[in-house]
Amino acid sequence: MTPLLALVRKELLVLFGSPVAYLTLALIGTVTALLFFDHLRIYNQILFLYTTTVMGGFDSGTIPDYVSVRDTVFLPVMEQLALTLVGLIPLATMRVFAEERLRGTDELLFTSQLSPAQIVGGKFLATFVFVSLLLGVSFVYPATSVLRAGLGIEHLLAVYLGLFVLGLGLASIGLACSAFTTSQLVAAVSAYAVAFVLYDFGWANSFVGESVAVVLDRLSLHPRFAGFAEGVVSLADLVYFAALCSACAVLARLSLDWLRIR
Amino acid sequence: MRHLALPGLIALTFGVGGYYATGEFGLFSTANLLAGAVALGASAATGLRSLGELGAASARRVLAPRLLFFALAVVGGAGLEVAAHRSGSRLDLTATRRYELAPATRKALAELPGTLRMTLYYEALDPRTRRIRMLLREFARAGPVELRERLLDEAAEDVERFEIAFSNSVVVELGPRFEVVERPTEGTLLEAILLLSTPPRTVLDVPRGEGERSPARDDERGYAGLAHALRAEGYRLRERVSAGHPEVPEDTGAVLLLAPERDLRPEAYAALRRYLEGGGRLVALLEPAAPPGLVALLREFGFGLPEGVVVDPASGPVDGAPPGVNPIAFVYAQHPVTRGLNSDRMTFFSIARAVLAARKPTPADRLEALVYTSPRAWISPDVEAVVRGVLPPPPAGARVERTTLAAAGEFPRAGGTARIVVFGDADFASNRYLRALYNLDLVLNAVHWATQREVDITLRPKVITPNQAPLTPRQTLGMLYGLGLLLPELLLIAGAVAWQRRRGA
Repeated sequence: MTPLLALVRKELLVLFGSPVAYLTLALIGTVTALLFFDHLRIYNQILFLYTTTVMGGFDSGTIPDYVSVRDTVFLPVMEQLALTLVGLIPLATMRVFAEERLRGTDELLFTSQLSPAQIVGGKFLATFVFVSLLLGVSFVYPATSVLRAGLGIEHLLAVYLGLFVLGLGLASIGLACSAFTTSQLVAAVSAYAVAFVLYDFGWANSFVGESVAVVLDRLSLHPRFAGFAEGVVSLADLVYFAALCSACAVLARLSLDWLRIR
Repeated sequence: MRHLALPGLIALTFGVGGYYATGEFGLFSTANLLAGAVALGASAATGLRSLGELGAASARRVLAPRLLFFALAVVGGAGLEVAAHRSGSRLDLTATRRYELAPATRKALAELPGTLRMTLYYEALDPRTRRIRMLLREFARAGPVELRERLLDEAAEDVERFEIAFSNSVVVELGPRFEVVERPTEGTLLEAILLLSTPPRTVLDVPRGEGERSPARDDERGYAGLAHALRAEGYRLRERVSAGHPEVPEDTGAVLLLAPERDLRPEAYAALRRYLEGGGRLVALLEPAAPPGLVALLREFGFGLPEGVVVDPASGPVDGAPPGVNPIAFVYAQHPVTRGLNSDRMTFFSIARAVLAARKPTPADRLEALVYTSPRAWISPDVEAVVRGVLPPPPAGARVERTTLAAAGEFPRAGGTARIVVFGDADFASNRYLRALYNLDLVLNAVHWATQREVDITLRPKVITPNQAPLTPRQTLGMLYGLGLLLPELLLIAGAVAWQRRRGA
């Protein structure tokens, strides 16, 4: 096993050696299931109302086109899941660098065969594996239900890809924040703040001009995810998330020298 | 002061979070954002002083390349993103390819006489705007389109000027003219663009007064949808009471006969015959009970119109009717009218009669079938039973064979070449069925061909019917317990075991 893979394995073992990882996975699975169930229940009720004779029925074109499994159930839940990721992923990333630095075990890492860049890469990779698991757990129930209802596997994959790259982007932000502090609390809170601000710059539209708003919109996480949610995979969106992850990784690498000097 | 950073970040998070929750800056969000900004500012000012520690030459030597690398990563990433954005590379993975524009839309955008402005008016929390925003971007990619967005609350003047009644409305402007699209889809936006960019250049003469269907009626049996689509494609519909004005006016591009129930007056038939002999154009939509005078006139031009209703067992029970009486056609002849239609692009007919390309009146004439049934079809003479919703058995000796539901012909005559298209059904173009499958394309392309506007023959955007597949309460609950909750429960059990093991170790 290469030193890099050994580091990834060690990170995952540490993560799954404590109940926090399981708790996070179970939490996101439960939240998604309950959200999805609730939307499905409401959708069925709406359909029932529209199919009663009083309101016309299926054949009379009375059901608005936005009442469908896709629009009434799946997409809103995926939107909420994206926001849930903003809340949960910093919990998983806060300890990755900060805890190691607090305990002083980072010095041990630096004496290993791994270069600082490889250390950062290994930690990022382990976190990305955890994010994949997080999404896998949250996706099983909605995906099965929606496939039964006929959304289309390709669209489903696009949404999943969107959540995945969004998760990687959020994890990268969380890791970069964790890399600059010894406090897990500071790491988590600063990751929340950055992620919330960056999630959607719509809040800033009231203060800035139209041209600045366009630039801010392209910097935001949520509009990027929205394309995937609509079933459109754009190269620009993929490049955006790749660039975000790379910039955060470079920043985390920079933090190693920064904190050593300080 | 540095300890203010953490409370500042918390306040900032709640400030932005409050905005996401409500879609506006209330007292809570604003106060949090301001407090967060002040706290972070104070903390940053203190922190900046400590940067002096990093000013040493040795520190600069280590950090400078790293900072440069970070700057390069950011600039490089931004550059790649801009290049990818400009390339427009993307995959539409929606089941119905809803963000791939139809040929008709691309053609209309490519032929725009100037820059088109499309403004989306929306309310802050309207979830539909995202989809229409993405669709509008596709329009902008395909042609000279300037996109704008306005919040309804901030555009009171525009709301009054354009009479915008709903959120998610799009105002399409071309020069001084505009159209308001209240339920924007690719199809409705295309119609607006066509209405603005295509001045009426062909007059369609619509005889009335003998029980013809009305192009003004907007209920299910009416033809307002067809009339609107024709106007969008550059036609002006002119209704004419044939009893009082039998002559077909000279400026007529084509006569559109919408299923007359009674025979036209003899003088009207005579005028129509003269018009056609003089190189006129006719698009006739017939019902099984078409008046005998009209049937006789069409037979003069070689169309075979056997009495009865086509029954095609290959078509299942559609729209509550017995199986086979509402044929779904998927076989077409090679003809400009059916260009682009194939076995995947079907058309739907409701209680139709057969229209055969029977016999050319002169050798120079061209007469062709357009739309075929399956080879298992036969013609039932019992029209009354079919209309009542009863499927009559095939009469003894009935021929089971592929038959045709529409035909078209060109007839060179002394006064010019007449063009006639005859459909054995009128309902297929009614408001109820016009947008079903490819009916709209078939009827519009027939009019284009008849009026010699073959260049306008195309395939238009389809109306996407959302999938309505309710799960039963039992299925819904079953999946919640089976998948939704079981998996988290197992994970928690695994976590508990891992924790206990760790404690034991």
